[in-house]
Amino acid sequence: MGKLPPSFRNAKLPMTALLKKPNSAVLAEQQSSSQKPHYLAKTTPVKKPKKTQPEAAIQVPQVNFNSHNLSDAKTLFNQLVAAPGKLPFDLKFCNSIFQSFSLSASVQDSIFFLKHMIKAHPPFSPDRSTYHVLLVQSCKAPDLSLSSVHQVLNFMSGQGFPPNKVSLDISVRTLCSSGREEHAIELVKELSARDLPPDSFTYNFLVKHLVKNRELSTVNSYIKEMRECFDVKPDLVTYTIMIDNVCNKKNLREAMRLLGVLSEEGYKPDCYVFNTIMKGHCMLSQSSEVLEVYRKMLEEGVKPDLVTYNTLIYGLSKSGRVKEAKKFLRVMAETGHFPDAVTYTSLMNGMCREGDALGALALLEEMEAQGCTPNACTYNTLLHGLCKARLLDKGIQLYKVMKEGNMELETGSYGTFLRALCRNGRVPEAYEVFDYAVESKSMTDVAAYTTLESTLKWLKKAKEQGLAV
Amino acid sequence: MLPGKVKAVVDNPKKISNLIDLVNLPSTLREFMGQSRTSRLGCFKHVWSYIKKHNLQDPKNKNIVNCDEKLKSILLGKEKVDLAELPMLIKLHFPKQPK
Repeated sequence: MGKLPPSFRNAKLPMTALLKKPNSAVLAEQQSSSQKPHYLAKTTPVKKPKKTQPEAAIQVPQVNFNSHNLSDAKTLFNQLVAAPGKLPFDLKFCNSIFQSFSLSASVQDSIFFLKHMIKAHPPFSPDRSTYHVLLVQSCKAPDLSLSSVHQVLNFMSGQGFPPNKVSLDISVRTLCSSGREEHAIELVKELSARDLPPDSFTYNFLVKHLVKNRELSTVNSYIKEMRECFDVKPDLVTYTIMIDNVCNKKNLREAMRLLGVLSEEGYKPDCYVFNTIMKGHCMLSQSSEVLEVYRKMLEEGVKPDLVTYNTLIYGLSKSGRVKEAKKFLRVMAETGHFPDAVTYTSLMNGMCREGDALGALALLEEMEAQGCTPNACTYNTLLHGLCKARLLDKGIQLYKVMKEGNMELETGSYGTFLRALCRNGRVPEAYEVFDYAVESKSMTDVAAYTTLESTLKWLKKAKEQGLAV
Repeated sequence: MLPGKVKAVVDNPKKISNLIDLVNLPSTLREFMGQSRTSRLGCFKHVWSYIKKHNLQDPKNKNIVNCDEKLKSILLGKEKVDLAELPMLIKLHFPKQPK
């Protein structure tokens, strides 16, 4: 099964940088955040207090809502209002005062305080953003039920601001980030029943979050219920998220099932869906299937993008089909895509796997000549390959370049490098590499040390058997 | 073969705790470390940086550490220590904890 070289194996960079970047789950998230300025705009006051607080602190040094005591806060607010200074009592300022109190107070107290603020300072008329401050607080609290969220929503409605899509979105996001996914689902259902179904951003956000943190069955039942009870259907983004998730779990069968469902629903798989499925096959080293996906893409008239090619080249290299992988460099050039660090690194990885570390090194030169900058993953791949091919001197040279560039070592290539050094009787250099791994925070001290220790243990054994210098 | 093995060690909570748990030190080590409690990892790092700081590596053969009096006292009284042996020698001060 998946014989990833160690340099690809566990690092944060490789697989993710290689493949995940483009998948539409992430894209969906980007979309949802970029396409939703109106949501953000409404919540900006929430983030403001940091800015305004010091202001208040300068003019009225006692402003400090660290105590949760309601009456203290009321007194303080009265003082602020009465203060002869030129405090900017606009909405933003009031919101920030309110937020800094509600941060540490209970929801009930916050409501009281808000009422007091309106009474003590009549020009202040809270708008939706003010209530959303309150809503976020109630979602953050580690409650066992939604009662305080309900309380806020009812309060909002009473004040003439019935919850809208923004309220729902904010609540769902806050609930999810506080680990209250079940409550988020409950809230979505409740509000859907009250004629406020989630929009696709909220809906997909929840799916994405559930897929990551809950069982697949939870997600499926959420989707099913939403469809059956409220006629809210998953869209292409939802399916891409789901497919990506099952692919990451190497459950290609479920991915194929989802692909079928997606077509049944009348969606046409796009580039992201194909890339995701291709990635799934890559993870299982199924290079023929990878090519099959590529063919299918062309058949259906979906234009491959850079990620498609990178995935393809990665998948082929990984299964030892470097020659074919290289051919795609030309195809890329023909279609106007420039190979990037990921493309080259995948190829180098394949070459190293075949034992052609020198060829990979030559490719590094070619890559740089093309104006493409290698990254840490590239170097780690090469270091690993050179050490495996017993080209230690070249490996050491490469390591020096890495050190100059402050590049992190990956656990796999670090281990291989240490072993190669020790085998050649260069223990002091191995210690130096250990120091660098610790210093550059490439891995935990424990990981760096255990590798060093076990390498030395291994060396001792090898020496006893007459295998090492 | 090795990377897989190493990963297993890193994943093994017992082995990790064996490395990073603070242990009451025997008196010989206590003097050298200037602390009464330390972990095996901390001890190793301290000894290694001590060697570097005092230039105790043999200039002709960096594999060999020429121990000074202080270092000798904690490394079985050896005059010369092979760098590769260092982790094993330090481990001697950290016997397995009886449960």
